[in-house]
Order: sequence, then structure tokens, then C-alpha cells
Amino acid sequence: MSTLLEIRGIETGYGRIKILHDVTLDNASGNIGLFGPNGHGKTTLLRCVSGLLRAWHGEIRFDGQVITNLPPRRIVERGLIHVSQGNRLFPDLTIRETLRLGAFPRRARAQEAQNIERVAALFPKLRERWSQRVRTLSGGERQMVSIAVALMSEPRLLILDEPTLGLAPRIKDELCDAIKLISQAGVKLVVVEQDVEFLLDLADHLYLINHGEVAAEVRPGDSMNHEAIMEMYFGRQTSALT
Amino acid sequence: MSTIVDIVMSGLFQGSLYAMIAVGLALVWTTIGVFNFAHGVLMTVGAYIAWQLASSDALGLPIFIALPIALLASAAIGLLMQAAIVRPFIGRPDVVLLAVITTLAAASIFENGTLLIWGPRPMQLPPLAAGTVKIMGIGISAHQLIIILVTPVILAALWFFLTRMRLGLALRAVAQNEDACHLVGLNVAALYGLAFGLAAALAGLAGIFLGGFTFMSPTMGSEPLSKALVVVIFGGLGTIAGPIFAAYIIAFFEAISIYFIGFYWTPALLFAVLILTLMLKPEGLFSRRSRSLA
Repeated sequence: MSTLLEIRGIETGYGRIKILHDVTLDNASGNIGLFGPNGHGKTTLLRCVSGLLRAWHGEIRFDGQVITNLPPRRIVERGLIHVSQGNRLFPDLTIRETLRLGAFPRRARAQEAQNIERVAALFPKLRERWSQRVRTLSGGERQMVSIAVALMSEPRLLILDEPTLGLAPRIKDELCDAIKLISQAGVKLVVVEQDVEFLLDLADHLYLINHGEVAAEVRPGDSMNHEAIMEMYFGRQTSALT
Repeated sequence: MSTIVDIVMSGLFQGSLYAMIAVGLALVWTTIGVFNFAHGVLMTVGAYIAWQLASSDALGLPIFIALPIALLASAAIGLLMQAAIVRPFIGRPDVVLLAVITTLAAASIFENGTLLIWGPRPMQLPPLAAGTVKIMGIGISAHQLIIILVTPVILAALWFFLTRMRLGLALRAVAQNEDACHLVGLNVAALYGLAFGLAAALAGLAGIFLGGFTFMSPTMGSEPLSKALVVVIFGGLGTIAGPIFAAYIIAFFEAISIYFIGFYWTPALLFAVLILTLMLKPEGLFSRRSRSLA
């Protein structure tokens, strides 16, 4: 498997506060999982990849081409789609309207009808509420719409930032199943997730982001279990694992 | 009987003009989140450009050729205005206040520019159609009748655009969540430009409608703008339908008031409506407390 997303030496932050110090993820194969404590730069890194935040230094390549600091829509056009954390979407649009908007990239328009069917099959709950406004949906339903909108854009790489954050267990399971199906359909994933089991299940290559750096990684084939991940979280034996 | 027809015709005509102006204001407010005080002067500019193209004292083109050119020019002016005086401040926390200042300044510049270029002498545009039509014993100019009939079509087309077409959906979306717009691949800056350009074209059209009916002057936009202000506050800026309904209600109220109370007290009554609305339902009659379109 070749490397779809390569990140080299990224430094960025907000205002004059630097958040990421020289982050490099350039050897990943398969689905990438990011984990680590809150407030240490995972979301910042993803915002930088999708063009919402300027990189101060470093280079991001998607499918071999440099995408560093391109406008977000140019990155979307290439098929790198970011489902942001806790996305409120467009409160006054209906689900159906929101999905139409997801097919905005030229590349995705021809497949719109087909993708609508795909999305409806993946999230049958949404089909019942096609013309309901997004503001009236529950957190779980809104998260489904967020992922559905991303699928409408014909993603080649899907970035999911804590897709199950704050959801009830049943909804969470439903969402996890859908995400696995998406991955099986050939869409590569970059996932940030606090649920370690889910992350281990889904990702092939894990990175621990700590203090704005890659503090540890777990390559495919490295045996890894829940306890070891927990130890990485809390800072013990980190060096032994890398 | 003829009194009623008179009031109805006057209400429909003024309502059409107010609706056309108010919808442009709502479009800019709901997408960019600023109030455009230069909206009235965009009417003036549109009317004068049309005059330059269509008047027998100037280029003398047929009005139906002059009209689309003038509208395109208005849209272009709106687009440039947005790029020059609104876009640089987008994202700043004080953008609303800054836009009040910059759009008021632009209004002043354009008003005086019009005075400088075309002079203070009142002028008149050729009407869209000549002659008068008799409706139930009341003569109404063909120009006014066309406006009464065409405006609902234009407003319906705008509604269709904003609720049924992907680009219209994008315009509504940009008002609601800018980051999410970036992430579905929308060109946010271009959408802001489009909203302003479209609003300017609607203002220009209102100006051309008005210029073929009364005399044009460099300050012709300020009075309709103040009426449109009453309309958008009365109806609320949150939806596209709100200002449209409000425009016709206010226009009928005005027509009835002019007939029974008189010309002199009518503006005072309109502003009493404005104050009452602000006291009782500040978000407007047809609006929730949010910024969104349709």
C-alpha cells in the first residue's frame, strides 16, 4: 500500500502560539489513527491538512502532490475530505439540501444520485428525515449527516475527527459499523478517536500526538493491546514501544 | 370602488419596489452578516447607468437592451464594492460596525459621484412600456403594470434559486457555518461576492423601475432605502419570504394611510410601526432570532 497522505515537518499554531512542533507522518500505510490527550494538537494537525489553518513550515502531500496551504476547496476537489469535530453543519438546511451541497465539487456531481442511494443505505435513519432541518437533529444524527455529506464529495481519503464524541453507546456502535463499511469500500481513513478499541479495530498505523509532536507510533504488525495504549497515554514505557 | 382599486394598485406598485429593495438587503445580511447602507445608492447608480444607455439625450439604446447591461454593471459595482469595503474586514469581531461606516461612506461617495457626473437636474428614464391601461375604471401606466406583474416572477425566481439550486443552497449555507462551507469545498469569498453582486443587481432593477416612474436625482435612493429599512425590521431579515410579505403589507398600509390620513403624516406613521416592531417583536414578524435565509 502506498502512502496517500505524507506530512513532513509541519509547524503551525494560532496567532503567535505554536501548537505543532515538527510533526512528521510519512510512512503510514493503510488507515491512520491519531490518539493522545486533548489539547495536544490532533485537531490542529487535521485543520492544517484540510487547509483551514496555514502551515508555518513543512510540507503536506496528498497522493504525491503538494497540497500545503492550498485553499480548502482545492483540497476537497482532490478527494481529501475532512469531517470536523462536532460539526454543527448548516442548521437551517434540510438533510437533503445538505447532501446536495456535499456534491458541490465538480468531480462529485455526476455521481450525485448514486451517492445519495449509497448514503441512504448506509444511514437508513437519515432517509426517514430527508426534509428535516439539521438544527432539529440529535448529536448522533448530525454526526451521521456530517459523514454522509463527506461521502457525497467522493472522498479518496476521509478525515474523521472524534466521530463518536459524546454519543450514546447504541448510536456509537451504529456509527462505528458504518465507518468500517466505508473503509471496506476502499476509502482510506485518518481517524482521531478516544475509544481505543475502535481505533485499534480500524487503524493500521497509530500515532500518539503529545505536546504537538509525534511521541510514539505503532506500525502495522506491532502487537498492541489496550493496556499498552493506555500506558502510552499516561507516559510510561513510551520509548520502549517506538 | 375606484378608491379601492387606486389603493390596491398603489399598494402593489410600492410593494413591488420595496420587496425588490428589501430582498437585496436581506440577501447581504443573511450571507455576510452586515447591513449595507449603500444599498439605496446602488439603486441610484443602476438607474443613472440605464439612463446613460437608454435616454434619447445620451446613447439612446432601446430600454430592453439598456436594462440588462445596466443590471450587469450594477452587479459588477456591487461586487467591487464588496471586495473593497467589506471583504477586508470579514472575520474581525467588529465587522458589523465597520461595515456600517464603510457602506455609509460608499453611499456618500457614490451619491456625490452621481451628482458630479450627471448633475443635479432631475432626469427621467424611458418607461418599460408606453401608454396607460384602464383597470376597473382606473388608469394605470403600462410601466407600473409591468412592474407589478414582473416583480413577483423575479422574486419567485430568486426563491427558486435559493431553495432549489445548488449554488443558492451554497449561498444560504455560507451564512450558517463558514468552516463547514470550506470543508465541502465552497469558495466562500466568491459566494460573498455573489451575494453582494446579486443584491446590487436587484437594487439597480428597483432603481430602473423607479426612474421610469418618477424623476431621478442623485438622492433618489435614500427615501426608498429608509422605507426598505422599515420593511426589513417589520418583517425580519431572517428569511427571504419575511421581507417580501412585509414589503407588500407596509406598502398597503402606506397607501391606505396616504388616502385616509394624508401624505404628510404617513411617514410618521410608518416610523411608529418601526418603533412598535422594535419594542414588541424586535426580530421581526416572520423571523426567528437567527441569521439565515429561506
